[in-house]
Amino acid sequence: MNAIETHDLTRYYGARCAVNHLTLSVDREVFALLGPNGSGKTTTVLMLTTMLHPTEGTATVCGHDILRDGEEVRRSLSYVPQDMAVDIKLTGRENALLFARLYGTDTPKDRVDELLAVMQLFDRADDLVKTYSGGMRRRLELVQALVHKPEVLFLDEPTLGLDVAARATIWEHITALKKDGMTIFVTTHYMDEADRFCDRVGIISNGSLLALDAPSSLKARLSNDVITAHIDGTFRDPGVDGITLFSFANNEASFLAENGREALPLLADAFTRAGVRVRSLALREPTLDDVFLHTVGKSEEPAGFDQTKFRTMLRRRK
Amino acid sequence: MRGVIWYIERDFLRWVRGRVAVFSALVMPAAWLIFVGLALPIRFTDNYLDFITPGILVMTMLSAGLSGGTLLMFDKILGFLNKFLALPAPREDILFGKILFVSLRGLIQSTIILVIAVLIGASVYSPLQYGLTYLILFLFGVLLSAFATTLALYLEDHDSFAAVNTMISMPLFFTSSALMPYNVMPEWLRTLASLNPLSYAIDAIRAVDAGALPLVQIVSLAILGIVVTAISVQVFRRVTV
Ligand SMILES: Nc1ncnc2c1ncn2[C@@H]1O[C@H](COP(=O)(O)OP(=O)(O)OP(=O)(O)O)[C@@H](O)[C@H]1O
Ligand SMILES: [Mg+2]
Repeated sequence: MNAIETHDLTRYYGARCAVNHLTLSVDREVFALLGPNGSGKTTTVLMLTTMLHPTEGTATVCGHDILRDGEEVRRSLSYVPQDMAVDIKLTGRENALLFARLYGTDTPKDRVDELLAVMQLFDRADDLVKTYSGGMRRRLELVQALVHKPEVLFLDEPTLGLDVAARATIWEHITALKKDGMTIFVTTHYMDEADRFCDRVGIISNGSLLALDAPSSLKARLSNDVITAHIDGTFRDPGVDGITLFSFANNEASFLAENGREALPLLADAFTRAGVRVRSLALREPTLDDVFLHTVGKSEEPAGFDQTKFRTMLRRRK
Repeated sequence: MRGVIWYIERDFLRWVRGRVAVFSALVMPAAWLIFVGLALPIRFTDNYLDFITPGILVMTMLSAGLSGGTLLMFDKILGFLNKFLALPAPREDILFGKILFVSLRGLIQSTIILVIAVLIGASVYSPLQYGLTYLILFLFGVLLSAFATTLALYLEDHDSFAAVNTMISMPLFFTSSALMPYNVMPEWLRTLASLNPLSYAIDAIRAVDAGALPLVQIVSLAILGIVVTAISVQVFRRVTV
């Protein structure tokens, strides 16, 4: 039995499909759901934590059906929502103790002390949360979520708005929890984090799961080299055979090519011929970012957002 | 059911730490008591202060109960409710916690109003009479806070909650028997007032003050409270975000 199993999980808000026939299973690993804003990550988490009923499909958490055995499901999981919610008028300890008691923990005070120490909050435990930094509040939320030793932990964007050090701390804790056998389901926008700390990632766009695998396999699947070009002024795809453009943003165009070394001069020539001014060209291994842009970009092409068209439109308005 | 007590403790800590709110809720009823009870040159009855005090007590409970819904509204807006709903503890504990906290807080506020009333010249009654008064106020508080909390669960934002709140509380107060006895009311108002649950509570306290035991009103308030709470429990059990 896997800790999380979903089968054709679907959710509509009115006519808009937020999650579309999602089928996946997650067990004793750190699993990340990656996707652009509005792709249905939070909606998925809300369904799995029994806060929202699916329109269609089923899911189980630790073998309990999210529709029929809501209470059992909630007993086996903890959930940290996307928007931080800790009581600023209470102290860190009071915040944590509330959850320890609501969960019916045996020795709430000891458990809270233990976790506050693990999360490096012990010294400030009796200060009002009002005086905590964002990173401390996030860690306090982890304390609240961990007081009852859940089997499955849902973290909706656990590192949102934190600095590099605070993010690293959070991930250290998450990795430690996995070693203890916990299943951790996170959503995030940070590809580098997903790449470094997650065992498997699922890429979701417009509610549909487009890719599902270990970060390294996903990168290997691209099997191509990535060429990035910094462009000055207007950009046009020079259209060289075998070199495909997969993203353009912030004056940076990214291409995929089977053999990067050979493609570089071809691309440079093509740019010159097309009259596009290139500031720099770089060749590198694909990152998860590339996988993401490649996967999501493809799915959005038909109805998606056309950068170049949009820019021309803006220019015409001036 | 264990969860109820921890939810109450949390709301209590938040309440006493928000110093201003502790007193602001008392300003309105105290002002009514002093300006209407003492200063207004109306003589419906021989001691108007004694007549109006039950009305003001119930008014205190009314505003305490209805505004108690904002507790849940803010829990919802600030994301606490989501976290509570994801807990294995029965979801109706959240509701019971709010009902009890809001009603008890209303009783504390009513006590202060009662003390002010006595200080400015209202009659003093026996402990038994005060006990019954508190019972009536509590039942009324349960009815209102259950209603307001469930309403807050349904409404989208604080503005619409505040709007519904004002829309309900003012007309309820003015169409009750709080300010004048039935015999001086115009016919239409008398009909409205005798249907108004606020009047049940007010009339019951007046009957207690007069030395009677208003069983009918107490039982009606209790039944209303139980029905509204039972419906609210169902709503809380099924709620999704
Ligand atoms: N309560 C709601 N009512 C209507 N539509 C909603 C509601 N909540 C979400 N949606 C829509 O469902 C889609 C998925 O939203 P969701 O919050 O799951 O995205 P997300 O992947 O978590 O995005 P983000 O990264 O911005 O948090 C979006 O198109 C959103 O507009
Ligand atoms: Mg989200």
